[in-house]
Amino acid sequence: MTAGDPTQKEKTMTPARRTPRARPATWMAALAASSAVVLSACAGSGGGAAAGGSGGGSPTLKWAASYFPTHWDPVVGGSGAQFRELALVYASLTKTDANGNAVPDLAESWKYNSAGTEVTFHLRPNLTFSDGTPVNAAAVKDAIERAKTQKNSALFGDLTSIKAVTTSGDLDVLVHLTQVDYQIPLLLGERVLQVASPKAAADPTKLDQAPVGAGPFTVTQLIPGTKAVLKKNPTYWDAKDIHFDNVQLISASDPSTVVAGLQTGTYNFADLPASQAKAATAAGLDVFVQPGFNASNISVNVNKAPFTNPKVVDAVRYAINRKEFVDKLTFGYGQATDQPFPPGYVAYDPQSGDLYPYNPAKSKQLLAEAGYKPNQISLQLVTLTDDPAAEIVQSQLAAVGIKVSIKVDKNWATPFFAKDLTFSLYGTTGRDSAVQTLTAHFGPNGVLNLSSPYEPAGFEAAVAKVRQTPLDSPNYAKVLQAATRAGLQSKALIFDYSAPNLFAKSKSISNLPKNPAHIDWNGVTISD
Amino acid sequence: MVRRVLSLVSARIAAGVLFVIVFLAVFGKLLAPQDPLAGGPQQLAGASWHHWLGTDYLGRDVLSRLLEGSRISVLGSVEVALIALVVGAVPGILSVYLGRAFEWLTLRVADTLIALPFLVFAVAVTALLGNGISQAMITVGVLISPLFYRVSRAATLAVARSQYVEAALISGASIGWIVRRHVWVKVLPPIAVALAQTVGIGFVVVSSLTFLGIGVQPPAPTWGGLLASDLRYLHYQPYAPVAPIVLIMATVWGCNQLADAIRDVSGEAGRALLNTRRARVNRVADREPVSVEGGAR
Repeated sequence: MTAGDPTQKEKTMTPARRTPRARPATWMAALAASSAVVLSACAGSGGGAAAGGSGGGSPTLKWAASYFPTHWDPVVGGSGAQFRELALVYASLTKTDANGNAVPDLAESWKYNSAGTEVTFHLRPNLTFSDGTPVNAAAVKDAIERAKTQKNSALFGDLTSIKAVTTSGDLDVLVHLTQVDYQIPLLLGERVLQVASPKAAADPTKLDQAPVGAGPFTVTQLIPGTKAVLKKNPTYWDAKDIHFDNVQLISASDPSTVVAGLQTGTYNFADLPASQAKAATAAGLDVFVQPGFNASNISVNVNKAPFTNPKVVDAVRYAINRKEFVDKLTFGYGQATDQPFPPGYVAYDPQSGDLYPYNPAKSKQLLAEAGYKPNQISLQLVTLTDDPAAEIVQSQLAAVGIKVSIKVDKNWATPFFAKDLTFSLYGTTGRDSAVQTLTAHFGPNGVLNLSSPYEPAGFEAAVAKVRQTPLDSPNYAKVLQAATRAGLQSKALIFDYSAPNLFAKSKSISNLPKNPAHIDWNGVTISD
Repeated sequence: MVRRVLSLVSARIAAGVLFVIVFLAVFGKLLAPQDPLAGGPQQLAGASWHHWLGTDYLGRDVLSRLLEGSRISVLGSVEVALIALVVGAVPGILSVYLGRAFEWLTLRVADTLIALPFLVFAVAVTALLGNGISQAMITVGVLISPLFYRVSRAATLAVARSQYVEAALISGASIGWIVRRHVWVKVLPPIAVALAQTVGIGFVVVSSLTFLGIGVQPPAPTWGGLLASDLRYLHYQPYAPVAPIVLIMATVWGCNQLADAIRDVSGEAGRALLNTRRARVNRVADREPVSVEGGAR
């Protein structure tokens, strides 16, 4: 401060004369200041838009996640929806763009050999994991081998095309294949190969609690099942395109509280059930649908009675009114589907559309032909949660004379993945590789195939043909749809509807890239 | 006893409320205007002539589901109270007469059970034994039973040391005869108070568990379950939670009022209270009418 500073001059006035006059003014100033504080607090709690930033600090993403990761080791977490949250921490060899094509991530480029039996990924140079370990060919080799061999890996079934992995120099990873497979760059993306630091992964149990990757953020605090605090990773290869410094990932198990949380600024981003979309829109939040490949299904076990009789399976197929699922569960945001993909996706087979239209009369007739009287069949539908879809299935099957009791089993995953259940519900958020989606549903060891080792005739050959077809081949869509057609001969799955990838965000967060089924934070900004 | 309880206005109102609730529990299914499990095309519809309380998220009639749901809610709370009564009151009375070892053992068991949070334990037991209302209610009943144990034991101790009981013992009466003849009548009023309170507690517990989806399998309706589903669609039907909330509150209020009334009229203090009230009423009735002018002055 200089001697001529007017503020300084004012401060040097005689206190004896100034104090009595200043007192009312001081009170007024204090009142104004406290009013400002109260008003700003009110604005902060009431306005969703104002709640977006960090309240004066560096911008923070406050993400309320209905699927808070149960595992932070990507090998254990598998390819399900929680890969989106894990992608905050881990980068992968490739990722997908808005068209669903594989684009570089940790791998700068890749090249197939002429036979299509080997693919070489060339890594970006001078990268490190957040613990300082170099991101090199050895680290990627370790990640692939761990996914194939770790005892509790949920990914080994997706890597059957990979025979071996070798390295060439520090930056080249050679993936040797058991068959010609042009799906590998799509496969080794965020859903299947999020690369963890080999040093941290030496103890997978520890990695599951303290993730270390080379992704855009690093975890600074993790409260299992509840909250994760992350900060920007300056060593991420695309760190210049990450425009906020902090992330709070919060488990939001009760969807009815999410909109209130967004309004009050507790969160500024959330995935949202369709039932809450109207409330979020009314609250002035940005509600948007991220493109995706979601498909829900009714899983039947053809190895267990009464589904050992194909006519009973067909009776259930004809009893399902998909429109009711869409109308009552998706509030206008979803669409009916009878395939493991939503209509419009490249793998959706138009020829197989409406293969089993809603026809309760035919359903009853098939049951009679199978030798069952009305209400003679009693099924137990086992679900993980109190799912309204189960109640719809129950009422639709009751209409054709099949009695269904619903059992909510918190340990549902154990009997489902052990293929012990007879009748259940499941769904997929899709895979970047359509072949992976097909094999997961219809393959003999598919995680979503409740009837393992059953697979429809001709499916394996059709899938092999897709693998042999380069992604840029003009025949690719045709061959892929033929594989879908073969898979849909399966008696084990009845697809019903495609739920939306619905999100709500504060207006302070800029629009997200429209990468199908992904949540990509590159280029996204959060204003204060 | 019943006549004395019903002499209080609050008890008559509480009994009326509880009678309606029990009536709904018994005849709710018959009174339901529509099939409570059958969905319709009108999802989350408002009140109409066809659906007096509107429809739920699958287009089912809410009134029919409330009526159907009353049975599980009421039976569950009664189940809790009866289990707690049997498990608690019988050893409570016998602990006074069956020797020091039995007394020590039952006291320690009661102390242990009191220390356990019954709601959390009920959730754990249903996770272990399967999601059923009976498993949950048996657990809660056993964990609430120390209330009856302590009440019945305290009342029995008071009676056991009275001269007429000692005289009966000296004259050769059996323990069973003494309990039936002298103890039971003295223990009954405090047990009745505890029973009414426990039905109320049981109702809160049943509603809480079913709110969390524990104890019943969908689509079986319960008041707690209806409340939980209403909260998910609050933006569509902000008034929807009112009906189950009012029913739950009325039932718990009725039980508590009845417990208070039984407590007020039981024992010497209760008789004195009633006599005082009667005397006051008689005094007012016998008094000469006062002139308006006199009253004004």
